[in-house]
Amino acid sequence: MTNPSMAAAIVGAAESDEIGFALSEKGTTNTQLHIEAISNVCKQVGISPSEIEGVFSAGFTPQIAEYLHIRPKYIDGTAVGGSSFELHVHHALAAIAAGVIDVALVSHGESGRSARKNQGRGTGGRGGGDPWAPGAAFSGGPYGGWGAPFNYAHAMTRHLHQWGSTKEDFAQIAVSARDWATLNPRAVMHSKETDPNGGPITVQDVLDSRLIAWPLSLLDVCLVTDHGGAVLIVSAEKAHSFKTPPVWIAGAGESMGHWDMLEMDDLTLTSAVNSGKTAYQMAGMGPGEMELGMIYDSFTVTVGITVEALGLAPRGGFMELFEGGKSGPGGSGMPINTNGGGLSFSHSGMYGMMLLVEAYRQLSGTAEDGVNGIAGKQTSAQTAIVNGTGGSLSTTGTLVLVADQ
Amino acid sequence: MTDYNKPIPDPDPYTSGPFWEGAKEGKLMLPRCNDCNRVHWYPRILCPFCYSRSISWFEASGEGTLYSFAVQQRAFAPGWAEEGPYVTCFIDLNEGDRMFGVLLDVDVSKPEDIFAKIGSKVSIEFVKANDDVHVPYWKLAS
Ligand SMILES: [Zn+2]
Repeated sequence: MTNPSMAAAIVGAAESDEIGFALSEKGTTNTQLHIEAISNVCKQVGISPSEIEGVFSAGFTPQIAEYLHIRPKYIDGTAVGGSSFELHVHHALAAIAAGVIDVALVSHGESGRSARKNQGRGTGGRGGGDPWAPGAAFSGGPYGGWGAPFNYAHAMTRHLHQWGSTKEDFAQIAVSARDWATLNPRAVMHSKETDPNGGPITVQDVLDSRLIAWPLSLLDVCLVTDHGGAVLIVSAEKAHSFKTPPVWIAGAGESMGHWDMLEMDDLTLTSAVNSGKTAYQMAGMGPGEMELGMIYDSFTVTVGITVEALGLAPRGGFMELFEGGKSGPGGSGMPINTNGGGLSFSHSGMYGMMLLVEAYRQLSGTAEDGVNGIAGKQTSAQTAIVNGTGGSLSTTGTLVLVADQ
Repeated sequence: MTDYNKPIPDPDPYTSGPFWEGAKEGKLMLPRCNDCNRVHWYPRILCPFCYSRSISWFEASGEGTLYSFAVQQRAFAPGWAEEGPYVTCFIDLNEGDRMFGVLLDVDVSKPEDIFAKIGSKVSIEFVKANDDVHVPYWKLAS
C-alpha cells in the first residue's frame, strides 16, 4: 500500500461574497453561497470550473455540477455533519493519489441564519440528528431533544466531573476565539460595533451569559450564520501551475465513534483519537510538530475534548493550551482557531469548511489580506492540524497540512 | 397519569416489544445476548458485541448510577417547552450499558448539587403516557 502523503495540495480557498448575519433582507440560499465561493476560488487560483474533475460536497454535488456545467468523473456527497469537508479532503487525496483525477473541488454553502429567519429554527447539519432515528425512541425523542446544545452539555458535565476541569477553563476557549475575531473584519463577533456580544470578551462575560443547557452558557455555544466556502485540490504534478501557492496535504484520517451520544463509551473522548493517529502516521509527524490548530468549535467543550484526543494536550489537560491567552493573538503557545472559529467568526451549521479556508490562508501567508484578516492575524506556522467534528461528537476528520517549502 | 402531554414513543414490537410490555408493569426489561452474555442498549435485532442474533430479555434491577446530566433551560417539543428547566441524564445500568432519560425530583436551580451526585445510585420510574406506552424516568435513590 503506497502512502498518499503529499500526493495532492490545496491551491486555493475562498468564502462566499457575504457571510455571517449581515445579509440581504431576503437572506441567502445554499446554492448561492456554494456558487459564490466556487467562483471566488476559481478566480483566485486562475482555473475554470470546467477544468474541475471531482466534485465533493455534503450532499449538494449534483446541483453544483449542474449549475456550473461541470461533467465530473469523480462524485462524492459524503454528509456526516460539520466534519464532512475534512473527509472530502481525505477522499480527494485518495482519488488523486490513485490517479483517477487531478483537480478536485470541495464546496460548501449553507444559509443557516436565513433558514432560521425564514422558516423558524434552522434544520441544517446541526448535531443531534433525527430525534426519531433508530434507537432514538430511547434517546432525546421522548425527552424534548432538539439539537446540539441539548446533547453536548452532557459531555461538558462529564469532563468537569471526570477530569476536574472548570467552567472557567472552558470559557477561556471562547475568550481566545473572540480575541482572534477582533483581527478578522468578516467575523460576526469582530467588535462591539458588529454585535453587542462582539470581541473582546472576558471569562466572566462567558460565565455570566445566559444558560442554554447547564453547564453550557450562550458564549460557550457557536453562532448560527450563513456562509459558503470552497477549496481546490490538485495533484502534486500540477501544484505549482497556478497563481496561488500550494499547501500540502501531508496526512489525512477519518473515523467515527457513534451516531447518537447514547452510544459513546466515554463522553470525553471522540474518534479524533483514531482519525488523528491515522493522519499523523500518514504525515510521519506527531502532535509536537503541529504549529497551528484549526479545531472545530461548535462549543467550547468540543475544542477541549478534541485537543486532548489529538494528543495536543494530555487527557483532562486541554486548559494548558489556552490559559492566560496562550492560544490567542501574540500568545506564547500554539495559535488555535485564528479566524475566530465557529464561536466568533461564522458557523452555518456545518462549519468544517471554514477550518480548511483559514488553514490554507495561514500556511500560504495570506491571512492578513485586509478583508479576512488584519495585522496580527498571520502566524508563522508552517504546519497545521485541522480537525472537524460532526454530529453529536460523532464523526471526525483530521488533516495534517504543511506549507510549501 | 392520563394527561401525558409530551412526545410519546411509538413502540417497535419487533426490536423492543418486551421492553414496552415490561414498562406497563413497572419492570425494566433488558436485552441480553445468549452467546456472549452481554447486555446492550438500545435494543437491536443482533448483539452489537458478537453479532449473534440470539437475544433474550430479562427483568433487570431497574437501578444504575448517574453518569452525566444537563439542565435543559429551554425546549421546543410539546410538553417540554412549557415544562421550564429540567434535567436530562445518562444512566449506567447495573447490568451493563447506558440509558438516556430525565431525572425527576431534583432542584434545577442548583446544578452544583446534582453535579455532586454523579456516580450516585438511581432507580427507574415508569410514567404512563397511554395504555400502551409507559415512558422511563429516573430518580436519585434516597
Ligand atoms: Zn453477543
